Amino acid sequence: MKVTFKIWRQDSPKSKGVLKSYETDGISEDMSFLEALDHLNEILVAKNEKVVAFEYDCREGICGQCGLFINGRAHGPHEHTTACQLHMRSFKDGDTIVVEPWRAAAFPIIKDLVVDRSAFDRIIEKGGYISAKTGTAPEANAMLIPKEIADASMDVAACIGCGACVATCKNASAALFTSAKINHLNKLPQGKPEQHRRVLDMTAQMEAEGFGSCTLTGACEVECPAGISIASIAEMNNRYVRAKLLG
Amino acid sequence: MFFKKSIMAGTGLFLSIFLIVHLSANCLLLLPESMARELYNAYSTILRESIVITIVAYLLYLSIILHVVYAAIVTYKNYKASPDRYMMNHTNETSSWSSQNMGLLGVFILLFIVIHMANFWARIKLGLGDGVGFDAAGNLDVYEVTYSLFQNIYFVVFYSIMMIPLGLHLNHALKSAFKTLGFYHKKGLRVLAKISLVYAVVIAVGFGIIPLIVYLK
Repeated sequence: MKVTFKIWRQDSPKSKGVLKSYETDGISEDMSFLEALDHLNEILVAKNEKVVAFEYDCREGICGQCGLFINGRAHGPHEHTTACQLHMRSFKDGDTIVVEPWRAAAFPIIKDLVVDRSAFDRIIEKGGYISAKTGTAPEANAMLIPKEIADASMDVAACIGCGACVATCKNASAALFTSAKINHLNKLPQGKPEQHRRVLDMTAQMEAEGFGSCTLTGACEVECPAGISIASIAEMNNRYVRAKLLG
Repeated sequence: MFFKKSIMAGTGLFLSIFLIVHLSANCLLLLPESMARELYNAYSTILRESIVITIVAYLLYLSIILHVVYAAIVTYKNYKASPDRYMMNHTNETSSWSSQNMGLLGVFILLFIVIHMANFWARIKLGLGDGVGFDAAGNLDVYEVTYSLFQNIYFVVFYSIMMIPLGLHLNHALKSAFKTLGFYHKKGLRVLAKISLVYAVVIAVGFGIIPLIVYLK
């Protein structure tokens, strides 16, 4: 396959970025999108040019490190997937593919396609954990949790923190991420002791980081690799009201 | 952010209820002229003289102002949160156009409200412009104000066309207001989405068609 990449190149957080065109040949349709970028980087190394910086870790769709805005969509043209699980067979020979970093005031660009998502870490630090002692693995069965609650908690715990929700949101809102992290713990008995403080503290940090507000467009739930529903955001709003009244 | 959005949701829902009452009353205009004039004028006299309605009216003005002011603040903050836009952006594939442009639709609606209030409220309540006469029963002839306005084809077209942004705004607004206020039952949300659509269509078509019918009367 022959593909032309148009990639956002930016040397440092402060410098001005531009879209640069790179023509590549020898791409296989079985390559993942990240492998195609590796292929491009090898061409750049051979030409003694600077390689394109992009993030990845597991390359199997579970770590949340790869985050690329591909052809105008977070993680590319498919729904509920990560950039590493996108394959070149999703594109046609001769295509031009535009690759940009996540864009949000709270996610400053570090270099090229790499953004600083530590704002998410700081939201987690405000309450994305529990203080209850849960013991070792066998003790997990000591506390009985109804299956519906365990399942509902797992549905939102599936969030991998990739930031696609923020990237695709017209307001760069982190409501889907924050709601997933809050609801995951607040649904479970182990998360109950600090449930109200968790909602208030994590949402306060979300605002302090400069994320926008939620307009409930629903774009995030389409792009979310874990398929988390925006009903999760409504649930967070519900918990917020309860925390304000009872907390 | 939660407080501002909750105020917007609350005022929005209040205004949505008002629209149902407003549209119901406007249906009187669809009756034959003799009946319509009498009933419409009698109804508007009851409204003007009622203390409860006077309080509700002030709540309505306040709701509109709060909704607009908080919309402006939230929009500004959202702009600050996402200042650099994408070179290529296809987020219209993942969410509806109206949900992405609630602010723009709101500006159209505000423009409409200003002109609508200049046409009716300013003339009837403030006594600006041409004086308003009385009908046979001695009630202020509000029917005549309505009827004469909609003899002007430009106003008919303006009133009808402006119901398109209103309908688009309401369709996204109603279901979203409930989510903002914390309603998260999944099946309930699906039902709510259908109710929002029906509500928006009824309101937009209802308000949009009445000026046309009055014009053709």
